[in-house]
Amino acid sequence: MLVGVLETRKIFGGETETAKMVFYLLAVVVLAIFFTGLVKRVIEYNHGRRPASFSWLRRRDARDIPEVSERPKFASSLVTIAANKTVTKSRKKVGISHLLLFWGFIGLFLATSILSLDYDILGNASRFITGHTYSFFQGPFYLGYNAVFDLAGLAALVGTVLLVYRRWFSREIQLDYTRAQRPEGGYSRAKIVIGDQVFVVGLLLILITGILIQGLRIDGEGFPSFERWTWLGYLVGKGLVTLGVGSAGARAIHAWLWWVHVGMALAFVAYIPWSKAWHMLASPTNLAVRDLATTRRIPAPPEGKTGYDSIDDFTPRELLGFDSCTKCGRCHAVCPARTAGAPLSPRDFILDLRQWVDRSRHIPLLLDTETRPVASGPLAGDGQLVGDVIVDKTLWSCTTCMACVEICPVGIEHVPTIVQLRRSLVDRGEMDPTLQSALQNIATQGNSFGKSARMRARWTKGLDFPIVDARKEHVEYLWFLGDFASFDERLMSISQTLAKVLNASGVSFGILFDDERNAGNDVRRVGEEGLFEMLVEQNMEAFSKASFDKIFTTDPHTFNTLRNEYPSFGLDKPVLHYSELLAILMFTEEVAPRSLGRRVTYHDPCYLGRYNRIFDTPRAVIAGLGCDLVEMPRHGANSFCCGAGGGRIWMDDSYLEERPSVNRIKEAQGLGVDYFVVACPKDYAMFSDAVKTVGIEDSLKVIDIVELFAEATEATELVDV
Amino acid sequence: MRIVVAMRQLADLVEELEVNDEGTDIDREFVKFVSNEWDEAALEEALTLKDELGATVTVVALDEPDVDQTLYAALAKGADRVVKLTGNDPDTWVRSRERAQRLASFLAGESFDLLLTGVQAADDLDGQLAGILGSLLEVPHAAVVVGVEGSDSKVRVIQEMGGGLLGVSELDLPAVLGIQAAKQTPRYAPISRIRQAMQTGEISEHEVELSDASAQVKVRRLYPPESTGAGATMLKGSPKEVAAEIIEIIKSKGLV
Ligand code: SF4
Ligand code: SF4
Repeated sequence: MLVGVLETRKIFGGETETAKMVFYLLAVVVLAIFFTGLVKRVIEYNHGRRPASFSWLRRRDARDIPEVSERPKFASSLVTIAANKTVTKSRKKVGISHLLLFWGFIGLFLATSILSLDYDILGNASRFITGHTYSFFQGPFYLGYNAVFDLAGLAALVGTVLLVYRRWFSREIQLDYTRAQRPEGGYSRAKIVIGDQVFVVGLLLILITGILIQGLRIDGEGFPSFERWTWLGYLVGKGLVTLGVGSAGARAIHAWLWWVHVGMALAFVAYIPWSKAWHMLASPTNLAVRDLATTRRIPAPPEGKTGYDSIDDFTPRELLGFDSCTKCGRCHAVCPARTAGAPLSPRDFILDLRQWVDRSRHIPLLLDTETRPVASGPLAGDGQLVGDVIVDKTLWSCTTCMACVEICPVGIEHVPTIVQLRRSLVDRGEMDPTLQSALQNIATQGNSFGKSARMRARWTKGLDFPIVDARKEHVEYLWFLGDFASFDERLMSISQTLAKVLNASGVSFGILFDDERNAGNDVRRVGEEGLFEMLVEQNMEAFSKASFDKIFTTDPHTFNTLRNEYPSFGLDKPVLHYSELLAILMFTEEVAPRSLGRRVTYHDPCYLGRYNRIFDTPRAVIAGLGCDLVEMPRHGANSFCCGAGGGRIWMDDSYLEERPSVNRIKEAQGLGVDYFVVACPKDYAMFSDAVKTVGIEDSLKVIDIVELFAEATEATELVDV
Repeated sequence: MRIVVAMRQLADLVEELEVNDEGTDIDREFVKFVSNEWDEAALEEALTLKDELGATVTVVALDEPDVDQTLYAALAKGADRVVKLTGNDPDTWVRSRERAQRLASFLAGESFDLLLTGVQAADDLDGQLAGILGSLLEVPHAAVVVGVEGSDSKVRVIQEMGGGLLGVSELDLPAVLGIQAAKQTPRYAPISRIRQAMQTGEISEHEVELSDASAQVKVRRLYPPESTGAGATMLKGSPKEVAAEIIEIIKSKGLV
C-alpha cells in the first residue's frame, strides 16, 4: 500500500495475523455473551402477561387531551428519544450532558460499525472471493469520517466528564441510595454504587484511551498533513509531543494501549445486558412503547384474577420498564410519600421488583444489586410478591399523585403497577380499618362519609333558590359534586357559593340528588376494582335517568375518572371541571368581575394538572379576577401532592414525619401571599388543617377559587381578610 | 366442628329513621338495610374458628330486606353454606321471640356444634335472641362472649364481666353463644368476591311455618322519646363560643 499518497490508516495496532486472530476470537466471545444476555432478557419480557385486548399494540387512542392520553406515535417517540426530551425536561444541565454523551457514543458506535463493515466484512470477503482486498476507508471518505467522528468523540468526552463529575461530587437527594423502606436486618447498596462507577468511569476510560491512541498513532506516523482532518487526534498528538512523547515512543505506547482500549470496549459490550448499561437499549424501547394513558385509565386486573400476585402477572411493558430504570432518583426526590417519611420510594419500588424478577428468572446482574445480611424481601426466594417483596405499607403509602410517572426520564409507569399490587391486598382484606370502613360505607350508602345516601343534597338547604333535579328537567350542565363537596361541613358552604355563582350567571345546571354515588376514582386506585365497577354501574344508571348535555365536577379526582375511565363504560358526554366553567363564564362575559388586587398562590391539584393538563385555565381565572399570582417553586406539572389522593385520605397518616400538606404550606409560606388558592375539595380540607398545624392560619388563608370568584362578582364581600 | 351463625338485617342507623303512620314500626320504605354489626362479629368469630380448627360454617337468616347481599357477602368471606328462611313477611318487624322460633324450627333439623349470633341488635338491645334460642333448643347458652376457643366436644368462652373483668367458662357442645366481639375486626369482603359469590354461590331457601302466629308480641307503640325540656342544655353559638362554654362547665365541676 502506498501510504502518503492514499489517505488512510492501518486498522489494527500492530496488524499481525496473531493479533487479528486474538481480536476476532475475543469479539466472538463478547458478542456471544452480549447476545445471550439480550436474548435472555427479551425472552423474559416475552414471558409477560399480554393483556387480553390488543390495545397495547395500537398506536393511537384518540381522546380530547392528546398530550396525556393519546399514545405517542413512533415518530414522536423517536424525536423524544433523539432529543433526550424526557431526560432534559426537569434537569437541563444533566440532560444536556446526557445528550452529548448519548449522541457522542452513537457517533462512535457508527464509526466503529463503518470501520468494521469496511475492514472485517468487505475487506475479508473481497480477499476471500477475489484475492484482492477492497476498502472504502480511504481518500476523502477517510478524511470526512475522521473529522465528523472526532466531533462525536469530543461530545461524548465532555458529556461523560460532566456526568462523572456529578456522580462524584453531587449531594443531591436523587443520588442518595438510602432506602425509604428499611428492611429489618439491614441492607447494603454498595454494589449499586460500584455499578454506577463502573458504568460511567468505564465509559470515560474507554473514551480517553480511544482519543489517546488516535493521538499516539498520528504522532507515531509523524503527523502526515492529511491527518489534520483527524483534528482531535492531531491536537492530542501535538500535545503528546510537547509532553515529550516522540514518534518512536508513541508507536510503543500505541501498541499496548490499543489493546487496553479494545479490551475495555469489548468487555463493556459483553457487560451491557448484565448491568445498568442495559438501560441504553431498554430505556429508549420503553419510551417508544409507553402509553401515557395507563395511569389516567388504570388497566383491568389480569384475566380471572383480582390483582397481581405472581411474576407471571407483569406485562412485557412493565418488565421492560423495570429494566429501563437508571436509578436516576428523580422520582425518589419528588415523591410526596418519600418526602413525608413514608416507607415508599418509587425508585426503590422499581428496583426491588427488578431485582426480584431477575432473581426469579435467573438473569444475574453482576453489580447494580442490593445485598442484605439476612435475605428478605426481593432477595429472599420464598416470599410472596405482595407482602414480602413489596410490603403492604409501601403500597398503601402511595397517593397516586403521578409525580413519579411525570418525571421519570425513561417512561416508567409506577402507579398502575402499585394499584395492581394493592388489588391483591384488598382481595385478601388486608387494609387499614379506616379504609375498610370507608369502602364499606361506599358500598352501602355510596359515600365515604357513611352518611345516608338520601342526605347527599342536604347542602342545598338554605339556598334561596331551588336546585334543578336533572332527573326531572333537562339541564345544560349536570353538576357531579363528589363526596367531599356534598358531605363535608366545611365544603358544603363552598358548594353553596358555586351554586349561587352559577345561578346568578344564569347557567342551566342540575344535580342527581340521592342518585349520585362516589364516582370511584380513588376506590379504583385503592385497588377495590369490584366496588369501582359497581359504582360505575350505579352512576351510569343515574346518568341514564337524567337529561343533560355536559357534566362538570367539583372534585378533580371525580373529573379524572368521569373523563378518562367512564367512556369505556359508555359515558359519552363532555366532562369539565368547575374551574373551566368559571373561565367560560368569565371569557364569554357572562359575568364582569371586579378586580380584587390580591397576592395569591395557586396549588395545582394532581388530578387536574398532571393528570389532565389543566394548568392554564385556573390561572386565567385568577388573573381575570385581578389577582397577582405568585408561583410556588413546585407548580404546574411539578406540583406537590397534598397527600390525600389514591385513598390516602381514608387511611391513617399519623406515622408520617411531616404530612405532605404541611410541607406544601411551608413552601407557600415564604412567598408573601395572603391567599392559598385551591380548586379541589380535598385540597381545601387538607390545607385548612395544614395552615393550622404550621400555625399561620391568620396570615395565609386557604381559599377555593370559586370563593374568590364570588367575591369579585358579588356586591358583598364573602371572604374576610 | 359444625358452626351455624344466625344473622339479621336492620335499618342502617345512619338513616334518619321515621316511625310509620300506625306508630308500630319504623317506616321501612326508603331505608337501607344492613346486617347487624354484632352478627358480623359472630360471623368473624366463626370464620376464625374455621381457619384455626377447620369447621363448616353455615349462615342462616330470615327473609328481610337486602338479606341476599349479607348472605353473599358471608359466602365471599368464607362461609360454606348460606340459608334464607322464608315464610315471614319481609317487610314487617320480626321480634326476637318469633325470630328465635323461626330459627329454632330450622335448627331442629340441623346438626350443629355451635350456634353463634350477635349478643344484641338495635331492635334487641336486651339481647334476647341467643337466650331464647338456647332454651328452645335446650342447649347451654352464654352471652357477651368476646372470644371462643374450641375443641371437639367442649368450648371455652371468654365473657366480658362488669368492672373490667373477663370470665372464662367451659360449655358442653352443642351450645349457643351471643357474641359481643370477635377476636379480630370483621374481615372485608371485596365486592368482586361478593359478585363472584352471586354468580357461583347459592342461597338455599327453607320455608318455615309457625304454627301459632297469634302468640307473638304485639307492638303497641314505637316513638322517639319526647324531650322533657329539663334534661339537656343545648350550647349555641360559634364553635369557639361553644368550646369556651364547655371549658367553663368542666372547670365549674372541678374536673380540671
Ligand atoms: S404516585 Fe406519587 S406518591 Fe405514589 S409513588 Fe409516585 S410520586 Fe410517590
Ligand atoms: S423509576 Fe424512572 S425516575 Fe425513578 S429512578 Fe428509575 S429511571 Fe429514575
